[in-house]
Amino acid sequence: MKFLVFMFMQTGRNIRHSWGVQLMTLLTVTLSVLIFSFFFLIYTNMVQAGLKLGEGLRLTVYLTAQLNPAEQEEFKKKITDFGRVEKIIFITPAEAFARLGRQLGNDKDVLDDLNPAFLPYSAEIYPHKDIKTLTRIKEFSDFLKNLPGTMKVQYGQGWVERFGHFVRLLRFIVIISGTLLILTTMFMVSYTLRLTLYARQQELKVLRYLGATNSYIKGPVLIEGFTLGLFGSGLGLGALFFLYQWVKNHFGATGFMNIFEFSFLPVSNTAMILFSSIMLCTLGSILSIRRLLKI
Amino acid sequence: MLNNFAENLSPGNVSNLVEIVKVTKIYPPDVVALRNVSLRARKGELIFLTGPSGAGKTTLLKLLCRQEMATKGLIEIEGKDLSALGDNDIQKLRQRIGVAYQDFKLLPRLSVSQNVAMAMEVRFMNPLDIKERVAELLAKLGLSEKHHKPAGKLSRGEQQRVAIARAAAGSPLLLLADEPTGNLDSATTALVMNLFKELNESGSTIIIATHDESIYQGTSHKKFELRQGELYQV
Ligand SMILES: Nc1ncnc2c1ncn2[C@@H]1O[C@H](COP(=O)(O)OP(=O)(O)O)[C@@H](O)[C@H]1O
Ligand SMILES: [Mg+2]
Repeated sequence: MKFLVFMFMQTGRNIRHSWGVQLMTLLTVTLSVLIFSFFFLIYTNMVQAGLKLGEGLRLTVYLTAQLNPAEQEEFKKKITDFGRVEKIIFITPAEAFARLGRQLGNDKDVLDDLNPAFLPYSAEIYPHKDIKTLTRIKEFSDFLKNLPGTMKVQYGQGWVERFGHFVRLLRFIVIISGTLLILTTMFMVSYTLRLTLYARQQELKVLRYLGATNSYIKGPVLIEGFTLGLFGSGLGLGALFFLYQWVKNHFGATGFMNIFEFSFLPVSNTAMILFSSIMLCTLGSILSIRRLLKI
Repeated sequence: MLNNFAENLSPGNVSNLVEIVKVTKIYPPDVVALRNVSLRARKGELIFLTGPSGAGKTTLLKLLCRQEMATKGLIEIEGKDLSALGDNDIQKLRQRIGVAYQDFKLLPRLSVSQNVAMAMEVRFMNPLDIKERVAELLAKLGLSEKHHKPAGKLSRGEQQRVAIARAAAGSPLLLLADEPTGNLDSATTALVMNLFKELNESGSTIIIATHDESIYQGTSHKKFELRQGELYQV
């Protein structure tokens, strides 16, 4: 208990001694955490949105002719042999025509003079959740294209692909900013603390002469690293939350926020970012004292 | 050689706080600062170590707080061989040895009271006790007005007394004072000597290195003289 009191007193003294550099380091940590968690927030929301869209994803196979029940069973069997599906629905031209009418709503009178027969027979295939990755869907579609009696396969390729590229780009940015976060926090903290230790060399020497133990000298430096990590990431995440709230309040009603649920990082992710920043900064402070001179 | 060591050792005699046996100190490359020095200090003794400048007084004190290592010979404190102590044990020992350095070794930017408190903080003493003890010592040494002044802004005489206060702060087992009155007038010298006397009476062993005759003239305490690195009892 007394030990801790002294550790914190000494830490306070160290921070006061070089508060300028410490503040700079704190801001650097804050900024790196903010940048990283910003991209991470966008990334998780995009992935979430992708999952939601994927839930409604279906492949439509246009058939050259109507399949009789036996042919339908065979068709189903071939598909389920290839990959798991949620369900397969066969659609007649009449059903497709009715659906088209529903989709057109008030404009459905344009269909009035048309014969439903101009629409082809088709089958809708809802793949199982497990094969919702882009490449798997593609494979699936290639397989369906080669089935006898298939005219064309459609699944909103262009859109899905573009979305996939976007998510991949985001993932790349998240990794880059995460690496930056690691580098800046760890090395910046260790560099700063080493600088302050050099500035305190005379004091450390005197402390050694007075009988200060290793833990008395190193403890406060560790606490400094820990504190920088705690406040740096706390401020960074706090800033992100305010940013998030601000965007939500100003643009929440208008358009894009409504396309998909845009939500803040889950508690577990927030805790992970907080925890790893603290660990990184503490690690930085360990690096800074590792080679602390022996007197 | 080994036989001589054995003669001088007195195992089990706990009242011997400091035991220096045939110690030689050579600064590289070839400055012989101490030659074959033996000295014993019992618990509660006050010893004057005299001799002209350059005789090796400071070196002897530095050996006792392991700031320097002996080139040859044995140094024991409380029966523990200093050359065999690990890093942590040395620090633990230093916590119980107060040293008033000839060059003070104060931290100029810290206040007087912070400088003195440091010696007790490294021992994790109770903060309230530390505050009380600092005030008491500064009062005894005529520095009551200087509590909050940065040590670097003091006169040399004042700095010297701060260094002495810091050395005395933890009521050390062993107090080493290197020329403690070198920068003091007779009035403040008396304050310092009174403090040493008090500490000594309450059990501290004290070794004072000095060439100031006025403080050891007619004393009943042990006196040794160093001359060119060799020690003689006076
Ligand atoms: N670090 C050192 N390196 C080399 N020589 C030293 C060192 N310290 C002291 N000496 C030499 O050792 C001798 C004794 O010095 P010192 O112990 O300081 O004497 P005193 O304190 O009695 O004046 C002197 O000749 C001095 O020049
Ligand atoms: Mg000297």
